[in-house]
Amino acid sequence: MMTKKWLVIVCAALLLVSYFLPWVVWDGSNVNGYELATGDFFKLSEAKLDLSNPFPNLAFTFYIFWLIPVLSVIIILLTIFNRKTGLLPFITGFSSISLITLYILFTDFGLGNLSFSLVRIAAWLHLFAAILLILLIPATSLLKKLVWILLGPVIVFASFKMIEKYIMAESHQHTSDVKADYMLGSAQLIQEFINNDTAANRKYLDKVLLINGPVSAIDIAADSTSTIRFADSTGSYAIFSLEKSELKEVASMKAGDMVSLKGVCSGSIFSDILGTTSISFKRGILNRNNLK
Amino acid sequence: MKKTILILSLISITVSAIAQKVTTTSGVVTFDATTPKDALPKAENKTVIASLEKTTGALAFEAAVNNFAFSNPKIQEHFNGDKWMNSAAFPKFTFVGKIDKLGKVKFNKNGVYDVTVSGNLIVKGISKPVSAKAKVTVKENTVSAVSTFSIKLSDYEITGTPIESGKVATEPMVTVAVSFN
Repeated sequence: MMTKKWLVIVCAALLLVSYFLPWVVWDGSNVNGYELATGDFFKLSEAKLDLSNPFPNLAFTFYIFWLIPVLSVIIILLTIFNRKTGLLPFITGFSSISLITLYILFTDFGLGNLSFSLVRIAAWLHLFAAILLILLIPATSLLKKLVWILLGPVIVFASFKMIEKYIMAESHQHTSDVKADYMLGSAQLIQEFINNDTAANRKYLDKVLLINGPVSAIDIAADSTSTIRFADSTGSYAIFSLEKSELKEVASMKAGDMVSLKGVCSGSIFSDILGTTSISFKRGILNRNNLK
Repeated sequence: MKKTILILSLISITVSAIAQKVTTTSGVVTFDATTPKDALPKAENKTVIASLEKTTGALAFEAAVNNFAFSNPKIQEHFNGDKWMNSAAFPKFTFVGKIDKLGKVKFNKNGVYDVTVSGNLIVKGISKPVSAKAKVTVKENTVSAVSTFSIKLSDYEITGTPIESGKVATEPMVTVAVSFN
């Protein structure tokens, strides 16, 4: 009985200490167990793995993992004073195993493959202590203990895979569903870029623009996509790369027609080939609700 | 009199050279860095500026880095970011080169000609020699060319965990397709 009591204390102490030690290594940098709760986990993942928190609004929920060291201390004190620990070892063990699962899955996803050399000894000790802590809980069936041990990894694994699928399937919103940030005439747009390309790029880059003006050239590609160009008298121009869905209407247009186009501005370059400014747009569409 | 003939000859040569230079603003460059682990790093830029000088075979293109359209917004962001193409500092890719053994191509005769194009590709301000097979098609008044080649990302100081881990190809395929009317 006495041995069991000390084992519980050792397990809780191990959980407490190992929580503050390195668990995994990303590109030469250690990631400690507590860093998900502090928010540093995603700062590091962004810097080292090019992976940012897919749901930054929910970052506060990770504070829950501070329960691990707090409950570990409480378990130690309750056990020393021969008090009942109730559900606390379940919650602590469950949280610890879940957290380790998340670290391992994230390392595997971010690095493309998981080498066990990337998982530090402290993570294994934490996992071992968490499992043992649950197994030491008295007057509970082994089945119930196994459920508590496996529940965390199963939930984390399922959630992780769902989020992974969501990220991989994420795509740009269709331009027709996005409200234009700016609406202006083609000549005015080109002039703004000619006058001060730095300021214009800062203002318009990655913004949705609605441009009205006379067409100067149309190109239709073999894959049914097309480009429409607006040019000024100097030869500088704005060019829209249009979606396949626009083909039918684009095919009926000709130079000189007035059109209204909406697209995502990719900024300008100065073309050494043409000696003019070129402003390009991607994911362009015809603005059917003219001047919306 | 001699002076007049010289000036007229120069004007004639210049006009002829200009007439022989064709350009487009609707070239297509496809960038494919997909791997079995990740099918997302693939993009197309359909507003590539290109020129071909028919008399010398001089070939050039410029592609705005920011106009490469990826299906996934995150990948698009990474592609333009500091670690990758750093499009804020280096807004375009440039190729300057020529068609080798230009004599093989008859611009006044319909046909498909296999050629080699060689020159320098400038990415992130770093210039590296590139040589690639290309197919030049002459049909009526239109000259079109297609070439596929690979680039080594490390040549252009593009590194990072996604590349080292095999999620992004270390040597992406680049396809250039241009049509000069």
